Amino acid sequence: MDATAGIPPDVSAETSGFWAAAAQGRLVAERCTSCEAFSFPPRGACRRCRGRAMEECEITGPGVVYSYTVNYQAWLPGLAVPFGIVLVEFPACPGVRVAGRLRGCAPEEARIGMAVEVGFEPGPGGFSIPSFVAVGA
Amino acid sequence: MSTELFEKRVVISGVGQSRIGRQVDRSGLQLTLDAIAAAVADAGLTLDDIDGLSMFPGGGVANLPGYANGNLYEVQDALRITTTWKQGVVEGLSLPFYGAAMAVATGQARHAVIWRTVKEGSAARHTGGRPAYGSTKPAAEGPLAWLLPIGMLSPVVQVAPYATRYMHEYGATREQLAWIPVTQRAWAALNPSAVYTKPLTVADYLDGRMISSPISLYDCDVPCDGSTALVVSAAEAAGDLRSPVRVEAMAGVVDGRPSWEQWEDMGRVGYATAAAMWARTSLRPGDVDVAQLYDGFTIECVWWLEAMGFCGTGEAGAFVEGGSRIGPGGVLPLNTWGGQLSGGRLHAAFGHTAEAVRQLRGEAGARQVPGASVAAVTNVGGYEAGAALLTRW
Repeated sequence: MDATAGIPPDVSAETSGFWAAAAQGRLVAERCTSCEAFSFPPRGACRRCRGRAMEECEITGPGVVYSYTVNYQAWLPGLAVPFGIVLVEFPACPGVRVAGRLRGCAPEEARIGMAVEVGFEPGPGGFSIPSFVAVGA
Repeated sequence: MSTELFEKRVVISGVGQSRIGRQVDRSGLQLTLDAIAAAVADAGLTLDDIDGLSMFPGGGVANLPGYANGNLYEVQDALRITTTWKQGVVEGLSLPFYGAAMAVATGQARHAVIWRTVKEGSAARHTGGRPAYGSTKPAAEGPLAWLLPIGMLSPVVQVAPYATRYMHEYGATREQLAWIPVTQRAWAALNPSAVYTKPLTVADYLDGRMISSPISLYDCDVPCDGSTALVVSAAEAAGDLRSPVRVEAMAGVVDGRPSWEQWEDMGRVGYATAAAMWARTSLRPGDVDVAQLYDGFTIECVWWLEAMGFCGTGEAGAFVEGGSRIGPGGVLPLNTWGGQLSGGRLHAAFGHTAEAVRQLRGEAGARQVPGASVAAVTNVGGYEAGAALLTRW
């Protein structure tokens, strides 16, 4: 399922690291250097202790699907449908939830609680977008 | 320092609406002026009495074609109004009348008009279908950067995971939740201004095409053209007003992460707002005669039924099933104008507020809830939430 039709992200000072890592197939979040809490999306501030000294940390799978939807509507010209969207949490990294596409199974096979591996695929504007892969696919 | 609630110092004095339809061949500015003229006359005032102006959304580029109309400055100029207070609200609306109520309660204005004008029906026709959120901009900014690039291109897709999670946690079925759009359509048949009035059945609902699972066609509000204006006045001016309605309590609390995909508990939305609102009144959920609960999608109505305490957490499916509780003659007449699902996506609870005022005045025509004296109004939910009780004068 091609995911390149669509609207690219505006890249900010806070999010440039995420998109650069995505281009290398790596999922990164932020981690507080004082309290070690994870945080996503990156804001340059810790959502637990409000500290400002954050460092990039790589999130490796598997993740767990918190919720999902299957989109059937072609909202834009050329948008290939249907596709699955999953909201993925990482038990080892509390506080991190990442939305992405679902691959490796039919979109209708998405389930809450299913395990997925971190992945990316080509998205709009030449960006790599999060695209999680069903475990066991 | 008085401990009196500030909302007690204000009333909603006027409501007015333009023609409302799937497409209305009239500009957004003209629709806005139509609604304002109607609202000011409805209040028993003239434009010379108006000293506050406010509208949603304020400046900037809107995320949807047809979303933003009735520019604050053009309206002020067209109506030749001297303002002591004005405000364009891009974010943090909470409730349509929240900001105006604060302004009037603190003496910054005596009679403030607030409006919301949509031309999304016409815009959808011009773009060949309901367009992508953010399609008016070249790149997805801020919170949208995490949604649009992956294909979460509409509020439908952004809210759908809430419905998935809710149904997973509480076992509610599509057959149960169908009764919200089905019953609201029955109400809409009693509203001459509603966009869709033809009867809708549960079978029709289940046959509706899936948009973003589990949200299907009839779970989505109807893009339309139309304008709603409200007048908020000082309570002490009540003697000058035709038929004011009291603001018993209002609140807007956001206690979760302020973006669609990061809200922590997608099965429970609006609870902090509802609790804060109930803390400002001695009235209880059982005192509410009519409820106008935000329904951009069916699931949003579910949030508010539960958060406001009209039924228990996870019980909305059983509560609405069969429609007898929420339909005409029910214990909780719900979205008696048809809501946004059938009445039209007038957005941001402007249509809901207008209907609450009409019900409390006894001016709701064939859909009038007999003796309605307490009305609940809620807006959106999640990162933008508001709840209020309005009462008869």
